[in-house]
Amino acid sequence: MRTKQMLVALLTLLVCPCLLFAGTVSGKVSYTGTPAKPKPIDMSKEPSCAKQHATPITTETVVAGANNALANVVVYISAGAPDEGQVPQQAVTFEQKGCQYIPHVLVMHTGQELKVLNSDQTSHNIHPLAKTNREWNKSQPPGTPPISEKYDKEEFITVKCNVHPWMRGYFAVLKTSHYDVSKDDGGFKLPNLPPGKYTITAWHEDYGTQTSDVTITGNETKDVTFTFKAKAY
Amino acid sequence: MQMRSGRHLPAQQSALAFLVAAAFVVLFVVLSSTPGYAIPAFARKYGLPCSACHEAWPKLNSFGQNFKDQGYQLNNDRDSPIWLNPSYWPVAMRITPHWHYESLGHQSVDSGDGTVEQTIKTSGFDLTGIDILAAGTLAKNVSFLLVPSIDGVAGTVGFESANIRLDNIKGSPWLNLKFGKFELDGPLSEKRMMSFSNTGGAYQLYHYVPAGDINDFTVGENQLGVELMGHSLDDHTRYAASLISSTDGSLGLPGGRSYDGFVHLSQGFMAGKLGLQRVGVYGVTGLRPTYSLTSGGEPIPGTGRGNKSFYRAGGYGNLYVGKFDLAGVYQHASDNVFLANGTPANGELPEGAQGATWNIGTFEGHYLYSPKHFILGRYELVRMSRQPLSDLPSDYGNIDVFTAGYRFYPFINSRAGFAWHIEFSTLKAVKTADSGADQRSNSFFTGFDFAF
Amino acid sequence: MMKRRMICLSILLIAATAGSALAQNAGVSSGYPTPKNGFSPAEQRGHGLYLRYCVLCHGVFGDGNGDNAPFLDPRPRDFTAATFKCRSTPTGTLPLDSDLIGTLVRGVQATNMPSWRPLTDENRQDLVAYIKTFSERWKTEKPGDAIKIPPETPVSIESIRRGHELFQKMECWKCHGQQGRGDGPSASTLTDSKDQPIRPYNFAMARNDSRFKCGSENQDLYRIFMTGVDGTPMPSFADVMQPNDAWDLVHYLRTLQTERRSKENEVLKAAGGAATLKSSENKSENNSAADSNGKTHSGGH
Repeated sequence: MRTKQMLVALLTLLVCPCLLFAGTVSGKVSYTGTPAKPKPIDMSKEPSCAKQHATPITTETVVAGANNALANVVVYISAGAPDEGQVPQQAVTFEQKGCQYIPHVLVMHTGQELKVLNSDQTSHNIHPLAKTNREWNKSQPPGTPPISEKYDKEEFITVKCNVHPWMRGYFAVLKTSHYDVSKDDGGFKLPNLPPGKYTITAWHEDYGTQTSDVTITGNETKDVTFTFKAKAY
Repeated sequence: MQMRSGRHLPAQQSALAFLVAAAFVVLFVVLSSTPGYAIPAFARKYGLPCSACHEAWPKLNSFGQNFKDQGYQLNNDRDSPIWLNPSYWPVAMRITPHWHYESLGHQSVDSGDGTVEQTIKTSGFDLTGIDILAAGTLAKNVSFLLVPSIDGVAGTVGFESANIRLDNIKGSPWLNLKFGKFELDGPLSEKRMMSFSNTGGAYQLYHYVPAGDINDFTVGENQLGVELMGHSLDDHTRYAASLISSTDGSLGLPGGRSYDGFVHLSQGFMAGKLGLQRVGVYGVTGLRPTYSLTSGGEPIPGTGRGNKSFYRAGGYGNLYVGKFDLAGVYQHASDNVFLANGTPANGELPEGAQGATWNIGTFEGHYLYSPKHFILGRYELVRMSRQPLSDLPSDYGNIDVFTAGYRFYPFINSRAGFAWHIEFSTLKAVKTADSGADQRSNSFFTGFDFAF
Repeated sequence: MMKRRMICLSILLIAATAGSALAQNAGVSSGYPTPKNGFSPAEQRGHGLYLRYCVLCHGVFGDGNGDNAPFLDPRPRDFTAATFKCRSTPTGTLPLDSDLIGTLVRGVQATNMPSWRPLTDENRQDLVAYIKTFSERWKTEKPGDAIKIPPETPVSIESIRRGHELFQKMECWKCHGQQGRGDGPSASTLTDSKDQPIRPYNFAMARNDSRFKCGSENQDLYRIFMTGVDGTPMPSFADVMQPNDAWDLVHYLRTLQTERRSKENEVLKAAGGAATLKSSENKSENNSAADSNGKTHSGGH
């Protein structure tokens, strides 16, 4: 993943020398307090999925790592982003596999193509509960081609499969391509930022949002940390 | 204009004049005690505001009429009582505390040895009777209406309505059977009348009979019987046919041994942007006994004999133009000579006796500024076309009534109805005073009408 | 005397009629004070009608939070979301006016929404115009194109059998149950888009006069599963089903309505009843277990 990002950065540098003096925002997302314990998921009603998991999987509402690290937090530039309106050409992919969403949180640019795959041997219905965007709900039996969609407005959208009530994921539709999703160690990195003032926002599905203002002056790396207060329930 | 003075009227006629006056008084007392139907029990059951079913309660709009025709059902699978909270009781009550002023012109008053005529005026606070309105469904497609009515003046409890209705028989809106005591499906509903006063609170259309006529039938009174009724899904086409006891709705043994028949057909149609218009025809015919068997000189109940016929037939149009609507009804009425003169069929008719016929026109206009503001205007005219006695003046007993009213509904919700009511009504009866003078009655009525 | 009075009266009535007709054309027909500027005459009239008929359930702000809303199940529609159950348009798109008018005429079966058939067509158009003011989506988006419904294929036992296979393959039974009783394994967990519990349609409950939420005819049934019922767990199958397949499914679904008279039930009965489908049920389950590609019946007939 990191090498891929490096490659992209390298390519960008080659194409656009003006970004030579690009800064980076990196840091870690963590939590304080005691988060709710992940609950095991009973997939016995869907044997074709249950057999894909040697040990029962758990809910992904809060994925906590070592040293209070918090994963699955979307960190993005909510104001001052230099590339608003530039829609990436490549599609993002949301996969239904083992009756889970992979990834659990999928970030995409407004207008970017979204492909939804069903790799399972069961029918899913993909039902993103959009509020500001259009709410649609499509059935995807096994072996059918990917569903192609896109969203026009910024929104964090809960995604459900009504047939398998434990399935829950999120689409983060952003107006920037400067974003990252925190890893298991809570780490994130927003590279290639030209000098300027930025507002960095961190969004977690259960704990809400936090923001931080950052000024990039040159070829530097700014460290930003976000700390969410855990809900015990 | 007066052709004769009362002193020249035959004694019989003078007595008739008194009878007319007395009949009016009784009529108005009875009618003003029955404010009619607006049933917040339904609003509570379905959560709809009064205004959903009532243009301005108690007057129904097309949606309310359809609801009624479907057997108090919305046909959305929530009509059966099983959907209701068990504590729900389908009962509502309605009463109207009010202040009223009455003036009756050319009333005979004893004075010394003789009588003089004077205008009697009075005013005071009063109550209408209370209507207890219980209505709803016993099961899907089985509906009921029970209206015990307490008359404070007479101190009696009556059954204004008590009926059961089998709705949508064989799944068809064209077949509904009502059984019990119910209001005839006339062109204008007297139970949903928008005026209450002694003078303007009843339709001449339904109640007028010439002086001395002993026919007690009225379209306006609720009748005992059975009604077959049907309608198209959108209610544009409606029919009703009733077979009713010849008792004018009174309980107990029937006076006669016959039944009255009533039919009503109407058709609504869309007139472009003006909305739904309706035209219809109706008729009722029946027999009334003219005497009873007696025992020791007293009539034996249920032994009416000497049946004589009567009929009422009319047509109407109901026009809607935006916020304005106008109903115009024309009705022709005919009573057999024995009924019209109050003579037993085995007795001797007075000289010059003839069957009475008369025509009535009723024009009622409503202006609904908004569901909160309702304005009423009504003009009714009765014109005798054949007097029961050939020597009576041709215009004797003709009546003109004009009624104007305004109702203000300060709030509209699904729990209760509340309205401030103000009304003025004036009636002129031609040559009905003992002196032969025209009699004028005026009523002013204002009060608070509420139902919950 | 009488004649003169009648003439007077007629003139008065005509004058009053003309007066109110003028008032009507001035765009204040409902008589309510103007709630906000910029309403078209139709929206203005619709607003008056909305206050008269709709407001206690759907609320002053159209958000489905009227006074009665807490007592209703399912809850009244939230017009601010501009998500509608009964559409002829694809999932996620705005419905056509005619779809909304159709809902007003029919009412919504098994809910508290009554049929507004007694209103005039103009009333309904005005109401729809007003309802559309509750969401900006009506200004920024166009309604979708109505899905095309090809002519119905003949009802045959083969069609019903293929429909039955599709019922298995599309896993309709996960929610609706193998007998269509609304008791599938996922049925008890379903919630609508407002997190309110919702039950799948129970086909077996249907009688001769039964309706679906969005109509009562075969083509309504076709439309319901092809467009999906937005705001509920019922998804659209338009992307994964060919028209002929869809008609097969319609024919099979009708046989789940065992108490309802239909051509489909007659054909099935003549062919030996629901038991004749059972063999294929086992086969299809075996197939899907054994053949991971899940070879589909793709309607190439």
